[in-house]
Amino acid sequence: MEFGRIFKRLDYVLLFAVFALTAIGITLIGSATHINVVSDDRYWYVQRQSFFAILNMALVLLTLRFDYRLLEDMSKKLYIFNLIILLAVMFVGHTALGAQRWIQIGPITLQPSEFSKIIMIVGLSAFINKRVDVLDSFWSWLPVFAYVFLPFLLVMKQPDLGTSLVFVAILFGMMILCGFRRKYFVRLFGLGLVSAPLLWTVLHDYQKMRLKVFLDPGLEPHGAGYHVIQSMIAIGSGLVSGKGLFGGTQSQLDFLPENHTDFIFAVAGEEFGFIGTTVILLLYLLIIYRGLNIAMNATDDFGTLLATGIVSMFVFHVLVNVGMTAGIMPVTGVPLPFMSYGASSLTTNMLLVGLLLNINMRQQKLTFD
Amino acid sequence: MLNKKYAYRLELLMILSLLVFAVLIGRMAYLQLYKGDYYYRLSEGNRVRSVRILAPRGIIYDSKGEALVKNEPGFVVSLLKTNEKPDLAVIEKLAAIIEVPPEKILEKIKKNEDSYEPVRLKSNLSAAMVTKLEEQHGELPGVFLELQSIRKYVGSELAVHALGYVGEVSEQEITGGQFTELKVGSIVGKAGLERFYDKQLRGKDGSFREEVDVAGRTVQTLDKLPPTPGHGLVLTIDAQLQRQVEKITDEHLRYLRSSGFAPNANAAAVIAIDPTSGAIRALVSRPAYNPNLFVNGISTRDWQAINENPFDPMANKAIAGEYPPGSTFKIVTGAAALETGKVTPEELIFDSGKHWLIPMGNAAGEALGWINFHRALAASDNVYFYEMGNRLGIDVLKKYAAQFGFGRITGIDLYGETEGIVASPEYKVQVFKEDWYLGDTFNAAIGQGFNLATPLQLAVMLSAVANKGEIYRPHLVAKVINDDGRLLSEVKPEKMGTLPVSAQTLELLQKALAAVAQEGGTAAQLAKLAVPVAGKTGTAENPHGKDHGMFVGYAPSDKAELVIVAVVDQGGYGSVSAAPIVQRIFEYVYPHKNAAAAVKK
Repeated sequence: MEFGRIFKRLDYVLLFAVFALTAIGITLIGSATHINVVSDDRYWYVQRQSFFAILNMALVLLTLRFDYRLLEDMSKKLYIFNLIILLAVMFVGHTALGAQRWIQIGPITLQPSEFSKIIMIVGLSAFINKRVDVLDSFWSWLPVFAYVFLPFLLVMKQPDLGTSLVFVAILFGMMILCGFRRKYFVRLFGLGLVSAPLLWTVLHDYQKMRLKVFLDPGLEPHGAGYHVIQSMIAIGSGLVSGKGLFGGTQSQLDFLPENHTDFIFAVAGEEFGFIGTTVILLLYLLIIYRGLNIAMNATDDFGTLLATGIVSMFVFHVLVNVGMTAGIMPVTGVPLPFMSYGASSLTTNMLLVGLLLNINMRQQKLTFD
Repeated sequence: MLNKKYAYRLELLMILSLLVFAVLIGRMAYLQLYKGDYYYRLSEGNRVRSVRILAPRGIIYDSKGEALVKNEPGFVVSLLKTNEKPDLAVIEKLAAIIEVPPEKILEKIKKNEDSYEPVRLKSNLSAAMVTKLEEQHGELPGVFLELQSIRKYVGSELAVHALGYVGEVSEQEITGGQFTELKVGSIVGKAGLERFYDKQLRGKDGSFREEVDVAGRTVQTLDKLPPTPGHGLVLTIDAQLQRQVEKITDEHLRYLRSSGFAPNANAAAVIAIDPTSGAIRALVSRPAYNPNLFVNGISTRDWQAINENPFDPMANKAIAGEYPPGSTFKIVTGAAALETGKVTPEELIFDSGKHWLIPMGNAAGEALGWINFHRALAASDNVYFYEMGNRLGIDVLKKYAAQFGFGRITGIDLYGETEGIVASPEYKVQVFKEDWYLGDTFNAAIGQGFNLATPLQLAVMLSAVANKGEIYRPHLVAKVINDDGRLLSEVKPEKMGTLPVSAQTLELLQKALAAVAQEGGTAAQLAKLAVPVAGKTGTAENPHGKDHGMFVGYAPSDKAELVIVAVVDQGGYGSVSAAPIVQRIFEYVYPHKNAAAAVKK
């Protein structure tokens, strides 16, 4: 498709929400990395995130020239590629914070589990699309579960519990869409309860501690519970209108850890207050709303499945990340879309927004323009 | 088509999403609106550290301006409060340097968990510790040195029972209501004047608040409240005299022990007081202790040494030691008998060596024959005063004893004073459940039996006699001054009352007391002093060991300027154990005949 037409058919409401969140994110990254404090490399994070934001927009624009339906045919190859990469991470990836998630390619470190979210959404959409008419009984879903389970296992072993659960969330959204029966959900839930002790044994010690601390944040006020307590203090102390940009004592004085990545929302809460957190959450809701709208208007089931998967992923990310900073979700390394610092995460989310735009602009029969 | 056929499923997803966002926004409202103030306070607690600035304690000077107690700069090592767990490696390294077990350090940290202030780990570090801490500064994150003034008792044991000592306030004292306004680790007076005048001496700690980051580094100072220094005290004690009195006392006790006369003469009390005002010039209690040992918490070894000494160095025997007043009490009996007309100065009473009603006699069994009041008091005749007791009766004797200040505290500016006992039938019934006999009255008349008095009570009694019957409250502090030396308040001599005796009786008493220190008196050796001295010996019976010896005296005998009381625990005869102490003190105060007014400034 030509750029002229692309610009005519963009969902500008969706774009506005994405740009706004990205801009707010970059501003808060600046605050969290102390650009107000004189130091030589204070702009490093802000510059890098801004650079990738612009780069990603160009990239998205480029992808819009191609029809998203092309992806359906590539899905099998992508899925296999994904498995190979995830396996590669297990052997050559490097370790940070007790998790093997990164892989070095030249000057850039990639987090393959981020990009595998795209592949999962695309692959699963294609996989289900082929079976959409036969997905009826509980047993007919088994191949779908198996399809998700393989990468799920690999990502969890990295270990990246957060991302592996993202796969489950994507699957969940598509299950709703495809009419997975309520009694089947109950059955699955029961199965989950039974296998929970088994799952517990495969968790790493630090993950177990995080879950224990989630149930009782006072368990280790200076240890594992520290992040959550400081994050809740940061958010709560923002009151109605916040302490002002760069005014957040929790983040400026480093009481809040990981404040430019996973806990960026706590910086928002502290510096912009309830007004700020509400505006940010409403912007996310706007993205969800536009996403589901696009799913509704897609001209093919693949598009509907894709859009539903993308929306499910965003909802899950926001719920888990914001919930974590607010102390109602356990600590898992799930970044906040568009706002958390990190090129891999930003690129993934931008590409997914690109997919939404892609579906949106190809929904009408446009033979005459 | 899924989306056309099952649009409701997408709507369901929208509803689920709305629910998710409702929960999140609700949670934000809970944290930021409902509990916002709580979290705001927590964030302030994170950010702001308040540090106490200790107020310098007031200096204590003697009457001539010599500093007896001052503050010296010392170092205290503290640990910054952070939100991290204490690093065990650092604690162990630190423990080795400051010679405190690591468990003790961790315990202190735990006790201070709720506070954002640095934890004080050890004060008064030695120079070697300070050097080591500075050398290894890089390996001890969070550990820092602070200047802190350390209480210094310049003369060590000098006047320790008057001055007292300081120490860290105990949790009991804080919860017990005595020092509710103080924080753990504050320094307070524990004994003596340090305790009695603690409020004036202590001052008020200041503080400053600073903003810190997560590592405890100071970002900026927010505000500062300077400390109010404590007030200083100017004592009535003359340090030079005090030193002499202590030296003389110690030398004489040593002599008594080494000569074999009184091998257990370890404890004693000596008081020098101005009878015209109640100002105490010297106050000695033996044995003594070094208050400097207590300033930073006394070591177990030092404490054992003090605690296991049977002569109780911690007790101030001048105000809390209770002794039978012995023959010094004859002053009271004599005053009562003359004042009530039970005897005239001229009347002669025959001392056959024993009283005719009850065969009680003189200590050494001597018989003085026909004697009048003057001779009886000068020679400390027992038979004469038994008869006075017989004529007066115990109730009158009791009344006079009370009027001379026995049986109640004098109200000196020290805690821990004891009341003593005035012999009476009521007391005997109450304590011993026995009836009163004439023999008890006889004993009471010569200060034995049930009577008990503190050396300070004896000093007040004699001061009243020496000072025309006017009784002044004994006191140790003359002035309270500001930290820059400006006078805040002056202690005026406080007249407590007047003896119920006529000037005539007083004159008779004074003359007889002067005769004590003349040829033929019980303390005749004092006659050779440069100044005429009046006084009275006393030997108090001690059922547990050698008798207690005492001497109360004043000089000059015609116009008293200085009263001195010496009591030697298990010293034997007062004329041997106590009188020489008083004699040497007067020798020091009045070295020449014409230097009679030397004691006055």
